Amino acid sequence: MIKASRIVSRKFDIPGSHTLEVAKTHGAYDALSDAFAFSPAEIVEVIKESGLRGKGGGGAPAGTKWGLMPQDDPRPSYLVVNGDESEPGTFKDRQIISKDPHLLIEGIIITCYAIKAHDAYIYIRGEYCQFQQILQSAIDEAYAAGLLGERSGGEAYRVDITIHRGAGAYICGEKSALLESMEGKRGHPRLKPKQKEPEWYFGNPTLVNNVETIASVPYIVKNGARAYREFGTEHSPGTLLFAMSGHVEKPGVYEAEFGTPMLEYIEHYGGGVLGGRKLKAVIPGGASTAVLTADEVAYATLDYENLRAMHSALGTGGMIVMDEGTDMVEALKNLLEFYHHESCGQCTPCREGTGWSDTILGRVLEGRGRSEDIDKLLELADTMDGKTICVFAPAVAIVVRSFIGKFRDEFEAKASV
Amino acid sequence: MSFVFSKENLERIEALKSRYPSPKALLLPCLWMAQYQEGYISLDAIEVIGEVIDMPPMELYRVATFYTMFNLEPVGKYHIQLCKTLSCALRGKAQILAQLSNRLGIKPGESSQDGKYTLSQVECLGSCGTAPVMQINDRYYENLTPEKIDTILESLEEES
Amino acid sequence: MSQTEVVIDDKRFVAKEGSLLIDLLIKHNLKVPYFCYHEALGADGNCRMCMVEIEGQKRPQIACDTLIKEGMVVRTKGENIESVRRNILELELINHPVDCPICDQAGECKLQDFYMDYGLYDSHIDQADKVHHQKHIDLGSNVMLDQERCVLCARCTRFTADITKTHELGIIGRGDHARVSTMPGKKLDNPYAMNVVDLCPVGALTSKDFRFSQRVWFLTSTPSVCHGCAKGCNIFIDHNREKYKDETIYRFRPRENQAVNGYFICDEGRLSYKALQENRQVERDRNGAVCSEAEALKAYCKTLEGAKGEIIVLADPNLYREELVAIEAYAAHIGASLYAPLEHYRDEDFADDWLKSSQRAANAKAVEILEIKTTLPVEKAGLLISFNHPDAAQIKAEKVISFQTHIGKDAYDLTLPLAVFSESAGTLVNEEGIEQYCPRAIKRNEPIPTVIEWLTQIEGGDK
Ligand SMILES: Cc1cc2nc3c(=O)[nH]c(=O)nc-3n(C[C@H](O)[C@H](O)[C@H](O)COP(=O)(O)O)c2cc1C
Ligand code: SF4
Ligand code: SF4
Ligand code: SF4
Ligand code: FES
Ligand code: FES
Repeated sequence: MIKASRIVSRKFDIPGSHTLEVAKTHGAYDALSDAFAFSPAEIVEVIKESGLRGKGGGGAPAGTKWGLMPQDDPRPSYLVVNGDESEPGTFKDRQIISKDPHLLIEGIIITCYAIKAHDAYIYIRGEYCQFQQILQSAIDEAYAAGLLGERSGGEAYRVDITIHRGAGAYICGEKSALLESMEGKRGHPRLKPKQKEPEWYFGNPTLVNNVETIASVPYIVKNGARAYREFGTEHSPGTLLFAMSGHVEKPGVYEAEFGTPMLEYIEHYGGGVLGGRKLKAVIPGGASTAVLTADEVAYATLDYENLRAMHSALGTGGMIVMDEGTDMVEALKNLLEFYHHESCGQCTPCREGTGWSDTILGRVLEGRGRSEDIDKLLELADTMDGKTICVFAPAVAIVVRSFIGKFRDEFEAKASV
Repeated sequence: MSFVFSKENLERIEALKSRYPSPKALLLPCLWMAQYQEGYISLDAIEVIGEVIDMPPMELYRVATFYTMFNLEPVGKYHIQLCKTLSCALRGKAQILAQLSNRLGIKPGESSQDGKYTLSQVECLGSCGTAPVMQINDRYYENLTPEKIDTILESLEEES
Repeated sequence: MSQTEVVIDDKRFVAKEGSLLIDLLIKHNLKVPYFCYHEALGADGNCRMCMVEIEGQKRPQIACDTLIKEGMVVRTKGENIESVRRNILELELINHPVDCPICDQAGECKLQDFYMDYGLYDSHIDQADKVHHQKHIDLGSNVMLDQERCVLCARCTRFTADITKTHELGIIGRGDHARVSTMPGKKLDNPYAMNVVDLCPVGALTSKDFRFSQRVWFLTSTPSVCHGCAKGCNIFIDHNREKYKDETIYRFRPRENQAVNGYFICDEGRLSYKALQENRQVERDRNGAVCSEAEALKAYCKTLEGAKGEIIVLADPNLYREELVAIEAYAAHIGASLYAPLEHYRDEDFADDWLKSSQRAANAKAVEILEIKTTLPVEKAGLLISFNHPDAAQIKAEKVISFQTHIGKDAYDLTLPLAVFSESAGTLVNEEGIEQYCPRAIKRNEPIPTVIEWLTQIEGGDK
């Protein structure tokens, strides 16, 4: 049976939960006093112990990243909260922003204190204007209540939060592209650093974390690392705002602990496949993870280790469910159009590879396919894999390989008409 | 130069400058302000912003052309942006598009003759759980059905 | 940084720890294809062509973003890595028109070189499926852009952003719609603009000045030094003799010299080859009538012998040091006073804080070192002998003999043709005191004498 696990979504169903008044009656900002009782280093330690993993798709241990922030550096440190949320199938951060913005603000105050930053930016995708307004109202309320500003949370610690609005570019979710974008440049991912180091914003050490990662912080600081580890598995502690879209009865965002069996999750929260039809496939963690067949879904569990072992990934936990009637060639074409449109265009294999793959599959769907086209797509996937500046192109490679690898018949059939 | 920031925007710009380590960070916020003020971003606006944040116009222009939400040409009063990505496609985006196209008499990428509507298809709007989805200017319209499209378009007609 | 040893393709090399691997590969001519890296612009890492294998790394790495580490083992050759590069190159060609036969860059195009090397002669792609862009865009400053041939290496845009800081060029649009452009209605406009043509690794940027005038493989390159100002930028003189025609210069190109001009030259210097060959003085002219060389020499001696009063010799401060030395000796021999006036060559408007110098005389420094007077003589001369000095007409003189490279508006008693710098050889001393030797580049079908050749003849006739 599924265990109710609500850490981040606790207040989601409470009417008016986005207002300070309602949020406060349900414990908002309670973790601040606990936090300021710790030293910054102690908080980093608690986050490390909790095993909190980044919830923006990569799953990097948050504590380790926080630990990379310098403790005494003459330069200012910054916190950047990633609310770009552009991975198809992902719509979870939006829930926090619009339903419990004060939880995010509370998390930001604590994180700033822990990494010795005074300025935090929340980068929100440009389309989320409506939700940004809710968050801005919450920030304004927090300023008015003295929770933000010079004496944040009533302590002698300044925290200022500024929302930075994106303008329509999936790649700006990638952390270094996001920082480039925030520096007033094109969203081009940066070359990888040669050693483990923080991110850099105008040359200053910077921490980038996903909205949900930061929203998980108050619970951990208040209840302790052990309480967080009560949920989830050893390598995937805690919970995630998993989401479902596509062919399910009740699509939406439902928090669950890591390790929950995928099928059970889909049945329990999603009410099963739409119209009682048979399941064909699930893309488990946002578009950029390897598709799973119905057979695989049967034994998949929602955690990093299991999905990795299945040569897929947990990603953002946004599942796209496809029923038996789905045309997998069309589905891949749809995703290739997305990648073709969203490649930043900086490096050759990705700029040309995504476009060319899209063109080839388009030709196949128009009935102009050639028998070698399917292998050409796989060859292009190889060229895009592991040879580019960021992991956008390798993700495309994974998607292409998994679709063709698992549903080759459908592709062959289309290519040979 | 024909573009000038409104007094209100100039004040916002000044206020924002103190919140960032460099005025260059104001590039996106300034482009947004210009777009709201004029409906699109003109080359004049680019020159003006360049002066405000001390950046050569070309560097701004490169950036403005990178992001899909910036309109460098005027668009219709109602910019209808229908999501075309997978979850929406799985939940009937095609019918919604047909309905929109029929009612407005335009194809994606086109504007109506009276300049009132522009129809675009866009990539995932981050609202896949309530697919199919579209955005009209800044507002989301979710769980779309062809009938809903009729009501929405009718209400827009009344509005104007 | 300390020196360390690395192994590349089973050979040992010594390099600075922490320096760029690609620099080492370039230095030792270990062929790895690359588009976006350029020594002057640094690494951008966008073309992904410079892939090499590094022991201990799972994936191939780009050499332009790899720092030399002690004991590093690198492979640039082999089935694996070559197929990686071939596949990336193939993608580079996907939206490229591959129209080398009509491309100006053919013969010095990296894309063409590489795909020949990698055996990708035919890139079986329907023209219809390619992304099409604009083909003949006049960017300004003599530079033409073909967006379809562009590989988006961003060299040209980094040049205008980081080197000249004039910011005319940029990559606009996203994904495979990205393309190089100026701002709408604006032009590429800076005194160094044409360097982007040399920087462009393919035929996307071409010089309007050079376009279609010559296939590059017919050209001979002779190293030389620009005579446009005292900076002394290093150049290649690219020239060719077509059948039945005289040897012609088709262009000047920058030649790398870190001590002088780095990798670049100014546009004015670059285009100065034209004026060099136009309007040349080829005939000997005595009182308005063409005469033979023997007659000219005779007239010369007669004029010299008949000279009354002071003899003044003017030497152009653009002449080679060897030429100046010879003139100096000659002037002493005939008891003349020698001047190399510099006044004419001051040009504050030309100067900038990079290469261009307000001293427009290429050999002003040599004049200074030889302690030749640089003022304009004010006294009236009985005889003036000018070696191509532009101020000759300003000197008051009874008789004037002018050796000149180009036809001028003034008539003299005796006008004799003189070789230009590309037809002569010698040393320039630039404004920083750097000595640079320029070999002779051009041999005319009917040679025009150099200063030294004239003086040898004159002194020979003298005896
Ligand atoms: C192509 C691409 C898109 C990404 N998009 C997002 C995004 O929309 N939101 C996000 O939080 N992280 C995104 N990421 C991950 C970020 O780079 C980064 O790892 C993350 O924001 C770090 O926060 P976390 O450790 O808390 O997850 C993306 C990564 C890639 C490669
Ligand atoms: S892999 Fe794609 S998205 Fe990433 S930097 Fe290269 S071109 Fe841009
Ligand atoms: S025009 Fe030439 S130099 Fe400029 S980006 Fe294109 S290929 Fe590179
Ligand atoms: S700076 Fe002077 S020497 Fe250099 S190319 Fe220009 S004119 Fe010639
Ligand atoms: S696919 Fe349409 S909103 Fe995500
Ligand atoms: S030269 Fe190394 S990536 Fe272009």
